[in-house]
Amino acid sequence: MTDAVDVNSADSWPDDADDVAEGYLANWFVREGSAVDEGETLCEIQVEKVSIDVTAPTAGTVTETLVGEGDDFARGDVLARVQPSA
Amino acid sequence: MVSVTDLRTMYEQMVTARHYEERLVDEYLVGKQPAFDISAGPIPGELHLAAGHEASGAGVCIHLRDDDTVTAPHRPHHIAIAKGVDLKRMTAEIFGRKTGLCRGKGGHMHLFDPDVNFACSGIIAQGCPPAVGAAMAAKKRNTDAVAVAFLGEGAIDQGGFLESLNLAAVHDLPVVFVVEDNDWAISMPKDRVTDVQNGAQRADGFDMPGVRIDSDDAMAVYEAAGEAVMRARDGNGPTLIEVQVHRRMGHFMGDAEGYRPEADIDRAKQRDSIERLAEDLRSHGVTDDELDEIRERAHERVEEVISWAKEQPEPDPEEAYENVFTNPPAQAATDGGAAADAPGDAGETGGDN
Amino acid sequence: MATESRDYTEATETDRELTMSRAMVEAIAWEMRENEEVFYMGEDVADYGGIFSSTTGLLDEFGRDRVMDVPISETAYLGAAVGAAQAGMRPIAELMFVDFFGVAMDQIYNNMAKNTYMSGGSFSVPMVLTTAVGGTYNDAGQHSQTLYGTFAHLPGMKVVVPSTAYDAKGLMHSAIRDDDPVVYMFHKRLMGLGWMPSPPGPKTGVPKEDYTIPFGEADVKRPGDDVTVVTLGLHVHRAMEAAEQLDDDGIDAEVIDLRTLVPLDTETVLDSVRKTGKLLVVDEDYQSFGVTGEIVARAAEGALDDLSAVKRLAIPDVPIPYARSLEDEVNPGTDDIAAAVRELHE
Ligand SMILES: Cc1ncc(C[n+]2csc(CCOP(=O)(O)OP(=O)(O)O)c2C)c(N)n1
Ligand SMILES: [Mg+2]
Repeated sequence: MTDAVDVNSADSWPDDADDVAEGYLANWFVREGSAVDEGETLCEIQVEKVSIDVTAPTAGTVTETLVGEGDDFARGDVLARVQPSA
Repeated sequence: MVSVTDLRTMYEQMVTARHYEERLVDEYLVGKQPAFDISAGPIPGELHLAAGHEASGAGVCIHLRDDDTVTAPHRPHHIAIAKGVDLKRMTAEIFGRKTGLCRGKGGHMHLFDPDVNFACSGIIAQGCPPAVGAAMAAKKRNTDAVAVAFLGEGAIDQGGFLESLNLAAVHDLPVVFVVEDNDWAISMPKDRVTDVQNGAQRADGFDMPGVRIDSDDAMAVYEAAGEAVMRARDGNGPTLIEVQVHRRMGHFMGDAEGYRPEADIDRAKQRDSIERLAEDLRSHGVTDDELDEIRERAHERVEEVISWAKEQPEPDPEEAYENVFTNPPAQAATDGGAAADAPGDAGETGGDN
Repeated sequence: MATESRDYTEATETDRELTMSRAMVEAIAWEMRENEEVFYMGEDVADYGGIFSSTTGLLDEFGRDRVMDVPISETAYLGAAVGAAQAGMRPIAELMFVDFFGVAMDQIYNNMAKNTYMSGGSFSVPMVLTTAVGGTYNDAGQHSQTLYGTFAHLPGMKVVVPSTAYDAKGLMHSAIRDDDPVVYMFHKRLMGLGWMPSPPGPKTGVPKEDYTIPFGEADVKRPGDDVTVVTLGLHVHRAMEAAEQLDDDGIDAEVIDLRTLVPLDTETVLDSVRKTGKLLVVDEDYQSFGVTGEIVARAAEGALDDLSAVKRLAIPDVPIPYARSLEDEVNPGTDDIAAAVRELHE
């Protein structure tokens, strides 16, 4: 079985927010166990009042969500893990 | 010709407004970082700041007396300050306190101060008709008071504005319409919503003088507004003035301005009417020390009103039922319509989470 | 095309959950793809995506011809939507806050709502008027109203008020396909905006395919035997929370979400009242001459013998005040609902 893929917050960081270190998780759209398509929106984060959709890096199953809705996180924190479908 | 005293007064009002709003930003963001929740913190709700609009408020209101009426839109602070609204009670209002101008009922978009005949409407262009009415009252009573309606360039496409121009013109009423053109109505640039880039041309259709001031230069506003106010006071009818101002910030706090080109933001910030007026003052022989002194005085005043406001009590929940009427109907307290069956006093702290 | 109203619990079990705003936009986008005649206009609906995210992403997909920013001229563009609808198109026009209806009420009330009737049915006005409603974030008297009753009172327009993402999508599909003018009132606090957090509840599972929710079918959110709580919009979630609290004390409240005001599902209300005998109506609109009075009147007309006690909670006939302590006082809270149910139960 292949390893689960990390969904890293840094990968979705807006270009013009290089100097910002913290974000806020506004909404989850999937739960642990949800099946997702590649590119499907997993959650919405906010960095400096800008909303960004974080999408699934691969099709598969969400095995873990690591930041709670309404919680702050640091740039580079892993938000979720997706187990690729075979 | 403008006197140095007037220039100094305008400068002081402008730096007061700018610093006041900078401090409001700090206070507004308390409880709203890093996650921005509009209903959190000591100042909840929308907050529209006017940094970059100061020349218009100061350059117009310097010609006004307490008995002249001003109506302001959703972006009112710089106008209120220039009109002489009680800054302590205005600040308490913005903090939602019992001793605020409106006892905590109005908030920042709905400031009312009868002592200087100042009122607001948060609905686009809807301060125009009441300004016309104030002018009508002055004319009927034969006083030489005038009225000024402030609005944004986005508001000149609204029926309430155009109808007001016509009513004021046909009755030769002493009113001045001041359009603050900051190029944007929230995310909509002017050329997306009107084919007429010079808003003062709207006056032509009503056979009324229309003046456009192309730079946010307090001196130029002073000249044009002086003429318009005098014209109104002398009984010669209304004038429309459009002033180019700059929106140095988002439409409201929390606006990430994703729709706005970076270059436009930079451009707005480069043109600072306060700097320009400081130059004018220097050329009139005012020293840097004197300017520093004015700024310090403004800063002290701002700190004073903000700390005063923050010490003020919050309104008691029961006050919500007061002021619906000036003459409350006798049965109101007992008929179940209002206070009798009121929800509330559950002591929630706002928001829904 | 799926047209069945789905079971709420089934909906929540889909893998994907959406906020109300995303669900609403998904329905609009689907209809725009299917039907060239559908277009959206309003202030700040293009690049901004709607102040309350009612149009996020639509500009990118459909371009400026179909997602139109318009001047701040509500009379002109709402009236233009009426004209375009009468010409056979399916416009969606947004009134940014319902509170702004005043500057354009004539187009809404004398044209949009009446032209079908006044023309003896020879004209239809198949448009949707979308608008943001509600308070709880201290925006004061001109930006916090719901005005549910005002719109529902005037004949000729259908009025829908979703309280969940699932309903928001299904009701939007229905609204766009309906041949009559539909006023679609979305509560700001329920949209799932990062900057105005929603209570738990409005975010639900939402199927990816299209589906409709028929107008005039209230949703029994929670069955109960002791007291009927009829409500809509934000207060569905406050009532559900109150019902959970009451459950701990052995009081079994039935919570009904009206979902549409016009048409109104009187039967579901009557069935419930016949069972419980006790009725609480909760509304975020003004109390007098409004939704609460209407529901109580229908209950009295249809089930008077079964009714033993009635109460209503609404904005107590004052404009919405700014300060937090004042707004909290006038807007019925979860505790107010729980207390009212307790009183009825005694
Ligand atoms: C009748 C009405 N429509 C829409 C709004 C929402 N709104 C508030 S401010 C604004 C933009 C106003 O632009 P402008 O008049 O240029 O003033 P600015 O904000 O740029 O100072 C809009 C559309 C409103 N308050 N009233
Ligand atoms: Mg503007």
